[in-house]
Amino acid sequence: MISAEIVKLSRRTLARVFKTPVAAEVKEELDFHIEKQTREYQATGMSRDEARRVAEARFGNLSKVVSDLEKIGKRRDEVMARREWWGESRRDVRYALRQLRRSPGFAVVAVLTLALGIGANTAVFSVINGVLLKPLPYEAPEELVSVTSAFPAMDFDRFWISPPEYFELREWNQVFADIGGYRTGTTSIETNDRPLRVPSAVASWSFFPTMGVSAELGRTFSEEEDLPGATPVALISDGLWRRAFGQDTEVIGQSVRINGVASTIVGVMPPGFDVEDAGVDVWRPLNIDPNDHVNRRGNHFLNLVARLDDGVSLERAQADLDRLEVRWEEEFQGTHTPSSEFHPFRATDFRTDVLGDVRPAMMLLLGAVVFVLLIACANVANLLLARSERRSKEVAVRVAMGAGQARLVRQLLTEGMTLALLGGALGLALGHFALQGLLRVNPDGVPRVAEIGLDWTVVLFTGGVAIVTGLLFGLAPLINTTMAKVGNTLKEGGSRTTRSSAGQRARRMLVVAEVALAVVLLTGSGLMLRSMAALQDVDLGFQPENLLTMEVSLPAADYPTPVDVGAFFTTALERIRALPGVVSATAMSGLPPLRTLDANDTEFEDMEPTEEGPPHNVDYWTSIDADYAETMGIRILEGRGFELADALAETPVMLVNERLARTFYPDQTPLGRRIRPGPSWFTVIGVVADMKQAGVNREAGTELFFYSPQLNRTDGFAYRTQNFMIRTDRNPLGLAEPVRRLLGDIDAALPISDVQTMEQNLATSLAQPRFMTLLLSLFAGVALLLAAIGTYGVMSYSVVERKREIGIRMAMGANSSSVLGMVLKQGAVLAGLGLVIGVAGAFGLTRFLTAQLYEVGATDPRAFVLAPLFLALVATAACYLPARRATRVDPVSALREE
Amino acid sequence: MAPKNALLHGTLEVLILKTVSQTPRHGYAIARLLEERTGEAIQVEEGSLYPALYRMEQKGLLASKWGRSELDRRAKFYGLTRKGRARLSEEVEAWTAFSQAVSLILAG
Repeated sequence: MISAEIVKLSRRTLARVFKTPVAAEVKEELDFHIEKQTREYQATGMSRDEARRVAEARFGNLSKVVSDLEKIGKRRDEVMARREWWGESRRDVRYALRQLRRSPGFAVVAVLTLALGIGANTAVFSVINGVLLKPLPYEAPEELVSVTSAFPAMDFDRFWISPPEYFELREWNQVFADIGGYRTGTTSIETNDRPLRVPSAVASWSFFPTMGVSAELGRTFSEEEDLPGATPVALISDGLWRRAFGQDTEVIGQSVRINGVASTIVGVMPPGFDVEDAGVDVWRPLNIDPNDHVNRRGNHFLNLVARLDDGVSLERAQADLDRLEVRWEEEFQGTHTPSSEFHPFRATDFRTDVLGDVRPAMMLLLGAVVFVLLIACANVANLLLARSERRSKEVAVRVAMGAGQARLVRQLLTEGMTLALLGGALGLALGHFALQGLLRVNPDGVPRVAEIGLDWTVVLFTGGVAIVTGLLFGLAPLINTTMAKVGNTLKEGGSRTTRSSAGQRARRMLVVAEVALAVVLLTGSGLMLRSMAALQDVDLGFQPENLLTMEVSLPAADYPTPVDVGAFFTTALERIRALPGVVSATAMSGLPPLRTLDANDTEFEDMEPTEEGPPHNVDYWTSIDADYAETMGIRILEGRGFELADALAETPVMLVNERLARTFYPDQTPLGRRIRPGPSWFTVIGVVADMKQAGVNREAGTELFFYSPQLNRTDGFAYRTQNFMIRTDRNPLGLAEPVRRLLGDIDAALPISDVQTMEQNLATSLAQPRFMTLLLSLFAGVALLLAAIGTYGVMSYSVVERKREIGIRMAMGANSSSVLGMVLKQGAVLAGLGLVIGVAGAFGLTRFLTAQLYEVGATDPRAFVLAPLFLALVATAACYLPARRATRVDPVSALREE
Repeated sequence: MAPKNALLHGTLEVLILKTVSQTPRHGYAIARLLEERTGEAIQVEEGSLYPALYRMEQKGLLASKWGRSELDRRAKFYGLTRKGRARLSEEVEAWTAFSQAVSLILAG
C-alpha cells in the first residue's frame, strides 16, 4: 500500500525533474521525423540534399509549424501541470481522508475540537457582522449623523434638542442636506375595535426625506401636516399593516383612533423601516411651530438626524455646529441657549449614536474567541504531533524515496486543511445554531438582533478562519519530520522508545500555552460573573419580588380632564385591591429600574442657582398613587409618606429621594422646605430611599414625588400614562388576566401594555451584561475543557512513551506512589508554568473589561485567585488519570515489549 | 468551410487514436501508417499532424514518452491514455451506427 504510493510519487518526481523545455522537445521531435523521411527518400535514389528538402517541404511552412508547436506545447504543459496539481491534491485529500478513517478516534476529537473553536468564532463574528458591519437599512447610511446637545454642568453628555434649536439649525447650518427630528415612544391605536398599544414615534416631516425613505403605499407627512393644529395624520409600519389591517390597500385615507384622536392614515412604510431598533409601528407628525422660537427653548426632547451634504466630513459638520454656538450666544440669552461652554452641540456618526458603544464589548468577545481558537489549534497540533511521531517511519520512507520536503509539506497541509475544513463546516453549523439559541433566550442581549444570522460574509469569514487554522496546526508535525532526522529514524528501526525531543518539547509548550490562555479567559469570565452577581445584588430601593406591572395610557379624547384621569385610577385601584391574591396596589408614572430622564427645571425656595452649586433641575418627576410605599416596599428615611388625607389637604405636599435631599439640602433637613415644579409650591414632607431609575448599574438621579390624588386637584394635572404596581401573595403572572378583565370592564377601548413581573423587567434591563457574561463564561468553559483535554492527551502520550522507563523504575523497586508522584510532578510543572504566564497575561488584559464590570475591579483578587485555582484542580485531574495508568505498568511486559 | 474543417479535424483525431491503440508510436510512424491504411486516400500533412498530437496530449487523450527508435536516436512515442481509449471506442461506436444508417438508406 505505502510502497505503491511511493513508487508513484517518485516517478512523478523524476518526471518533473527531467522535464525537457518545449523548444528543445519540438526541435528534437521534428528533427527525428525529417531525418526519418529524408532517409526514406534517399532509399528511392534521391540525393541527400534533395531528399531533405522534399521532407521539409511536406511540413509546408516549417518555421511556422515549429513556432505553432512551441506555443501549443507551452499551453499543453501548463494545462497538464495544473491537471497534475489538482490530481495530486485530490490524491492528498483522499490520502488524508483515508488516514482519518483509519484513526476515527483522532479524527472525531480533532474535528470536534476545531468545530468548538471555529464555531465560537462564527457565533461572535455573526454578531459583529449584524451589529457593526452591516450598513443601517437607510439610503447612504454613512452620510447620516446624529446631532445631540450636552449640559456639562449637569453631567448630561448626550441630551436632546429643543424645537427652536431644531428650526434654527435647519435654517442656519451650511453642512447638512437635510435635518429631521424624531422621538420614540408608545401609542394606543384602535383597529377593528381592538385597542393596541404599540411602539411609536413622532417625527418631523423632514425626517423621512433625510433618511432617504418614501412610503411603500401612500405618502409621508407634508410640511403643513407637521404644524400645530393640523388635521391628525399617521403612518403605519408594514408589520402593523399586515397584522392589524390585513394588508388592505384601502387603509390609505382611512381614519383610526390613535391615542383617542381620529387620525387619517396617509401611508404605509416599507418593511423593516425603523429607528433605534424600537420596532416603530405608528409614525405621527411632531406638530411643532417654527415660529415659536422663544417659549419652548428649554423643552429638549428631540433626537436629530441629519444628512451630510456631498463631501462634507463629520469634522466639518462639527466645526459648523461650533460656529453656530457663537451665533446663538449672540442672539439669545438664558440657560438654554446653545453655547460652547454650557450647552454645546455635537455631531456623531448616526450608527454609533443609536447603537450605543457596543464596539468595545464586541471586540472583547472577539478577543476571547480568538483565544478559544488558539487553544483548539494547540490541541489539534498536539494530536497531529503525537500522531506524526507514530507515523515518522512512514514519512521517513517517503522522504528517502524522493518525496521532496515541499511535497511533504503539501501533504501535511492538505491533511491540516481537510481537518480544518471539516471542523469549519461543523463549526459553522454549531456556531450558528448555538447563537440562535442564545439570542432566543436573551433577545435583548445585543442591538439589531434581527440582522444577526448566516450570510455570505459569515460563511467567508468562517472559511477564512478554517484555512488559517489549518495552516497554523497543519505544519506542526514538521517540527518532527525534518530532513535531518530521516536517517536516524530509519536506522533506529522505528523503535518506539526513540525520543523526538523536538516534538516533545513542542507538545509541552503547547500545553503551557493553552493552560495560560485558559487562565486568562477563566479569570475574565470570573470577573464578569462577579460583576453580574453584584448587579443582581444591587439594592434597588424597592422590593421587586411578587410585583406585577402593566402600563395604561388614557387618551385625552375619552378622559378630557385630570379629574377624569384621577377617577379612572382611583376606581381601577380600588377594584384591583379587592382581587383575591392582591396584597396592595398603586399606580406610578415611570417604571423603575430604567426609564427616560426627565431633567426638568425646578425651583427651590430660598435658593439661588450658583455657578458651583447644582443646577436647579431634577432628573425624575414621579407621580404616585395611594399605598405606594407599602406596595413598592420603599424605605422612608425621614418624615412621612403620603396619606389619604393629603389628597384633600390644601397645601400641596411632596416627597423627595435621598439623592435630591443630599444634593440640594446638604447638612440640613429638607422637611418643611418648598419646591416649585410648576405653578404651585410644594412642601417636602418626607425623604425616601433612592430607587433605581437610570439603570441598575447607575447611581440613582434626583427624584421628587407628587401625590396623584392631590396633584390632580391642586395643580389640575394628571399623568395620563401610568404603570400599575400590584403586589401579590402568589405568582404575579397569575393575576395578569383578572386585572386585564377588570380594566376591560372599566374601559373596553383601553389598551394595556407591558404586562410583566417586575423581575422580568429587571432581567430585560440587565440583558446586555447577562449576554456578555453568558458568552464569556461559555467560551471560558470551552477553553477549560479543551485545555483539560490537551493536558490529558499530552500526559497520556508521555506515559506511553515512558512506559519502558517506568517499567525499569518499577523493576528497580519504585512503588506506585512514587511513579504517580513522578508523572504528576511532570504535569504540575507544565500546568504551573501555564498558570503563572496566564495570571500575568490576565493582569495585563482584564483592564479591557473595566467598562463591562460593575463594582468589581479589573484585578479583583477573588477572581485572580479562584480562576487559576480552579484551573489547577482541573489540570491535576487531567494529569491524575494518566498518572494512575502509569502505576499500573507491568514492568515485565513493558521491558519485553520492544 | 468551418463545419467541414471541424469534421476533418475530428476525423484526424479518431484516426490518430486508432493508430496508436495497439502500441505507442512516434509521429513519423503515425503519419506513414495513416497513409498506408487509407491507401493514400487520406494525405496527412505533417504541418497539421503534430499540432493535433500536442492538442490531444493537452486534452489528456494521449500520453507521450521519449524512447529509443530504429535510428538509434531519441524519438517521442505517443500512446493512449485511459481517457483516449474511452474516446476511441465511443467514436468507433458512433461511426459504426452512423455508417450503418447511411448504408441502409443508400442501399434502399
